[in-house]
Amino acid sequence: MDHETAEAYVDAAAAALGLPLDPDHRPGVVSHFMLAAAMADLVAAQGLRLDDEAAPVFVPIEPGEGLAGADKKRAR
Amino acid sequence: MNASEWLGSSAAGIAHAVRTRAVSATAIVEATFAQIEATDGIVNAFTDLTAERAHRRAAEIDAGLAAHDGPIGPAAPLLGVPFAVKNLFDVAGLPTRAGSKIERDRPPALHDSPLIARLEQAGAVLVGALNMDEYACGFTTENSHDGPTRNPHDTARIAGGSSGGSAAAVAAGQVPLTLGSDTNGSIRVPASLCGTFGLKPTYGRLPRTGTYPFVASLDHLGPFARTAQDLALAYDAMQGLDRRDPACAERPVEPTARTLADRIDTLRIAVLGDYFQEQAGPEARHAVARVADALRVQRSVSLPQAARARAAAFVISNAEGGALHLPDLRTRAADFEPLSRDRLLAGALLPAGWVVQAQRLRRWFALRAAELFQEVDVLIAPATPCAAPAIGTEWLTINGQRLPARPSLGLLTQPISLIGLPVCAVPVWNCHPTMPIGVQLIAAPWREGMLLRVAHQLELTGVAQAPVATVPTR
Repeated sequence: MDHETAEAYVDAAAAALGLPLDPDHRPGVVSHFMLAAAMADLVAAQGLRLDDEAAPVFVPIEPGEGLAGADKKRAR
Repeated sequence: MNASEWLGSSAAGIAHAVRTRAVSATAIVEATFAQIEATDGIVNAFTDLTAERAHRRAAEIDAGLAAHDGPIGPAAPLLGVPFAVKNLFDVAGLPTRAGSKIERDRPPALHDSPLIARLEQAGAVLVGALNMDEYACGFTTENSHDGPTRNPHDTARIAGGSSGGSAAAVAAGQVPLTLGSDTNGSIRVPASLCGTFGLKPTYGRLPRTGTYPFVASLDHLGPFARTAQDLALAYDAMQGLDRRDPACAERPVEPTARTLADRIDTLRIAVLGDYFQEQAGPEARHAVARVADALRVQRSVSLPQAARARAAAFVISNAEGGALHLPDLRTRAADFEPLSRDRLLAGALLPAGWVVQAQRLRRWFALRAAELFQEVDVLIAPATPCAAPAIGTEWLTINGQRLPARPSLGLLTQPISLIGLPVCAVPVWNCHPTMPIGVQLIAAPWREGMLLRVAHQLELTGVAQAPVATVPTR
């Protein structure tokens, strides 16, 4: 990703998120975003199949299980 | 031996001495605060001391032993052992600052985190909380709010991070046992740089309830100590389901201390090659070679696409960390640690597709590791690319590559924590002229006991050692 594209994306995404960027912080944010883009390119280079699902698997929670977030049936 | 000498021995040694009434728990606590007073002006490991609580607890233990009816019996494995925790653990009565300026103004925690409670049930005595990188986002503990933690073996150098105070307190002989967290290497990196043992258990093994999160997908908790046995005693005391942590695994407790001395000659052990050699400097490769020699290992194996796995860990951490702190980033970005603020701001902006792809690669990589573990039991890899750099170091040169120092200290740990494998970091000396450097022992999930056995054998051969540093006094 080139610098100009990164700047345009950062400004647009920050505005969409309601995240004001201090002018002193903006160059660092653009630089870190470009680093993340380089990491995302490395990740994207890995060919994956449809059945390579995301690692976290949601486990439904039954009513009346007591503590918030408790899922007694879960086992690894 | 006096209390100060017992303090410098080990957690197991202290527990034995208190159990046999060779020394009182109160005398150990007094020696602990004396050692902190003597060394922490320079090391800066502690941000909070819980002196009143520690003295009260030690007095209860001593009274209980004298009367033979205390709540903590003489069989408690960590009887009278002083310990401290990274300041992202809830400690009743203290704000959980998580290394930040923002959190220290929030109300104090009402309860101790479960791991603190479990160690205290095993007889240990909490003495304070420890410095860290803000919000666990960093590998150096150059904390701008609380000052840098200094490496006890050379106070001009970093302690590593983000659990830098946890490693430094153990290396400085202030306490024999600490707790830290590890998302991308935050136990293994400071253990490597400070020359201590460190255990990052399997993802989901120890509950994270009552601790400040960083990246829920990748956060782990674990102990630091100066012996493998002490790691095993602490790990055993902390195991057990807590349903309040949705990632905590429903597995029975699997004690490790009692099998620590079991034979390891039937284990299939191999060195991790490729990426784990290419990203390691000469000191790190030397340390791996010394461990391999001691274990008579000649085999080398490969974990495919480790660089992509590291990139996936980076993307997931960046996105989850940024999203977690988005409300404060919107309203008070200037109050964040300058060394990590811009990274968190950028992380809040990542496109969803990058993050989903990283989570998919994570599962793909875990499957490749599972295939490898069908033919090998323990993998050996360097923990950090180099020994501890000087405080303020901006760039590292590793095998001719010029790399930004702060993120690159986690190059060798990130691919492993991405897929939650258990790792024991062991400290190796004489690979750098004056400093230690760590080696990762890695196993398939839930095989912490196997790793601790190998670490214990390395200690017996003298290859892995964690001596107390001689810290200069001001």
